[in-house]
Amino acid sequence: MKAKVGILLAIVVLVGVIASGCIGSQESSETETTGVELTGDFTKDILAIGRTLESNGINEVKFSAWGSGDPNSVMRVYGIVEAARRINKVWEENEVNVKITITDIHYVASFQDAYQEYLSKQPLGQAGDFFVNSYAFLPTLADEGYILDITEYANAYQNVIDDFYPSLIEASKFNDKLYGLPQDTEARPLYIRKDVAAKIGFNLEGIEEKVKNGEFTWSDVYYWAKKAKESGAAEWGLIHRKGSAHPDLIQFIYAFGGKLYNEESGKLVVDVPAVYKWLYVEWKFAQDGLLPKDIMSWDWAKQIHPAIVEGRTLFDIGGTWYWTEWQTKDYYGKEGTPRPLKPEEVQAWFTYTLFPAGEKGLKPVTLSQPFVWMINSKAGQQNPKYDELKDLYHKLAFLMVIKASDPDINAIHSVISAHLPVRKEAAELISNEKWLDDLKSLSIDLDPQVKSNIKDIVATTVHPINAKFLADVSYMLEYTKLAPAHPKYPALADIFKEAVDKVLRGDMTPEEGVNYIIQKVNADPELAQNVEVVGEIPKDWTLQ
Amino acid sequence: MKGEKLRNLSFFLSPMIIMVGLFYLIPLVFTVYISFTKMRNWNIERYLTEVVGFYNYQRLFHMFQHDPLMRTVLLTTIIFVGITLIINVFGGLLLALGTFFINERSSSAIRLLWLLPRMSPIAVYSLVWYYFFHGSEIGTLNSILMKLGVLSQPIPWGQIVPWGAWSVIIFVNGLVGVSFGMIVFTSALNQIPKELVIAARVDGASAWQISRKILVPMMKWHLLYVLTWQFLSLLTTYPHLFLLVQWDLVSRDYGTTLALYVYNTAFGRGEQDQGLAAAAAVLLSIIGIIGGLVTLKVLQFEKMIHEPRGDIE
Repeated sequence: MKAKVGILLAIVVLVGVIASGCIGSQESSETETTGVELTGDFTKDILAIGRTLESNGINEVKFSAWGSGDPNSVMRVYGIVEAARRINKVWEENEVNVKITITDIHYVASFQDAYQEYLSKQPLGQAGDFFVNSYAFLPTLADEGYILDITEYANAYQNVIDDFYPSLIEASKFNDKLYGLPQDTEARPLYIRKDVAAKIGFNLEGIEEKVKNGEFTWSDVYYWAKKAKESGAAEWGLIHRKGSAHPDLIQFIYAFGGKLYNEESGKLVVDVPAVYKWLYVEWKFAQDGLLPKDIMSWDWAKQIHPAIVEGRTLFDIGGTWYWTEWQTKDYYGKEGTPRPLKPEEVQAWFTYTLFPAGEKGLKPVTLSQPFVWMINSKAGQQNPKYDELKDLYHKLAFLMVIKASDPDINAIHSVISAHLPVRKEAAELISNEKWLDDLKSLSIDLDPQVKSNIKDIVATTVHPINAKFLADVSYMLEYTKLAPAHPKYPALADIFKEAVDKVLRGDMTPEEGVNYIIQKVNADPELAQNVEVVGEIPKDWTLQ
Repeated sequence: MKGEKLRNLSFFLSPMIIMVGLFYLIPLVFTVYISFTKMRNWNIERYLTEVVGFYNYQRLFHMFQHDPLMRTVLLTTIIFVGITLIINVFGGLLLALGTFFINERSSSAIRLLWLLPRMSPIAVYSLVWYYFFHGSEIGTLNSILMKLGVLSQPIPWGQIVPWGAWSVIIFVNGLVGVSFGMIVFTSALNQIPKELVIAARVDGASAWQISRKILVPMMKWHLLYVLTWQFLSLLTTYPHLFLLVQWDLVSRDYGTTLALYVYNTAFGRGEQDQGLAAAAAVLLSIIGIIGGLVTLKVLQFEKMIHEPRGDIE
């Protein structure tokens, strides 16, 4: 009996060993077929990846898309949905039985909140596979290994990369490696109310050129703002954005010829003369009652935007996206119940220029904060055989971003959100009237889910006036500056914001504001190591 | 017999010991450990084993010496905890005593009203006060005062430093905390034998005398508990403060306590420095432990737990 049991056990063990050998050999044969080299031919690459996935028994690939921004910028996530549909279509037409499903579309208003959420969830493997956010966060995410280095993949698609504006590709790099593809950008114009200007005899003819050639500077802004206030034509001379000094108000540093980053040392810079002049302008405007002393704690929807659209200020430092935001949000309350502006009203009431030069002899500027499509370094992990097929999932994710950057997807986003296109082909499409008409009637080839989500936005924003606005402001990208993509920059920007707030409220003079910034930088040894303080406070400088 | 006693004790104490171990001791040990690492941006894989000694503490003390905000944070913490504690404890006591002397139906209604701040979601409750204290004419308080002709210009209440900002954060948190003391003191008052109060009434004692001579002395334990609990709770609270500061209702400098500083450093900025935040949290814990011990000493906790002298044989 014992002998029989022994023989039986031996047979079981033997069969087990042989079976495991078979399974093992099957696995190794599968592993051999997981590699796909990208060639730069999109259809060929996507078919190769699809077929490899299929041969590995994968018929569905799940991805999630995380984005953030104003309500009109939803294409930041729906672009990924549309890319998935286009890839699925290629597979379907070529009888590849694989489908991409976007399982989670996560879109929040605050890009800072979205970043914090990504940061806390990425190490746990709970963050989105695609993450669109400001380039300013890219260095930290890249440095921590939270996003994918796509340099090698992008080499195969150099023709697509070359169509992006080079400055935006540079903004998507960290330590010379590419970590994302630009999704949108914008400019921050100085808006001028035409009706208020007319009341005070401020001739706006040729103002754009005067700003461009440095003839119209911040001294002129001050002069006219004062005149508007004193004559009673407007309650305020100037309204500007609040919150972090990045990325809006630091335009002053560039406009006064300063810099924020030393490329040689790789350190951030507190350019004392330029920072002093910036704080002086803020202080002077606030002291003379031209700019609210408490603007940094104003409410966006109840104070800042209504003050601008109702013509209670002559100047406003804003962003290109204001143009359509004013047409979709109920900010105008002069006639009782607040309502959005009509495109004709926005055009009739506002003109726009670059951010004027600080002083004669200097150049005007604008500031951009490109948003970048980044890929989670754990992209695809919710799918089967992730460890074996990781490289394949990553390549597929990269190709999805390439697809989501299709000129028409980029152009749709630009038109409905008043951001500037990041590709030359998209810029050309925006000026195509037929394409605009098709977009207006939604007679374009788009995913039904995407169509239904952008339907209302399209109805209110796709308008020849808005397309003309985008075309008009595109030249501003030639003057644009980017805040340094440095891991310590957010901490420095916070300090700038505190100083601006104190100076505006009159708690500090501009000189005290500068000293406060220097003191705060030196108080944190880690920040002090990363920041250079250069120059001295100019003597007897005034806004003349 | 001794073994049986130990078994009984272990049986009854074990849930609490496990709870304290899991939710207090282990996190505390982790916090202390993280304060000695370079942990940042949640990157556990990279930084958890990167021990940097006292680097975070050195950085923190350097900041205390040179950063004016850090001194403001400490001062704000002292003022906020001190005054809010007094409001919470004595406000709760006054409410409990006040409702003790009126009829049951009215007292229940009043107590329910005071529980509202605690029942409301933090964001909603903070939003109510955001619009109430808003520094422009859209603020309810400014709007009322301007309509009454008391003010010609709106006042930025939370931005008047330091007392405007302190008043707003103390007021908002004080209202939430009062209800806790009120509940504890009310239940304590209900445990006091009614005969004592009736006898005092018969002897002609006033409500004030009854409170001072009978009720309060019999609630010493509860006073000690509420005082210690609220002290530690206020020292570590930050959600309301976070929202009020985030929304720019109150000055960032004078609205930030040490607990909020820890939160902002760990999770709030572009670079999230969990190592530095852990060092500040350890400091906060030390202050909490010392403060708790001082409270117990001042209120003569040891005397209260002495066994009765046993005069009566």
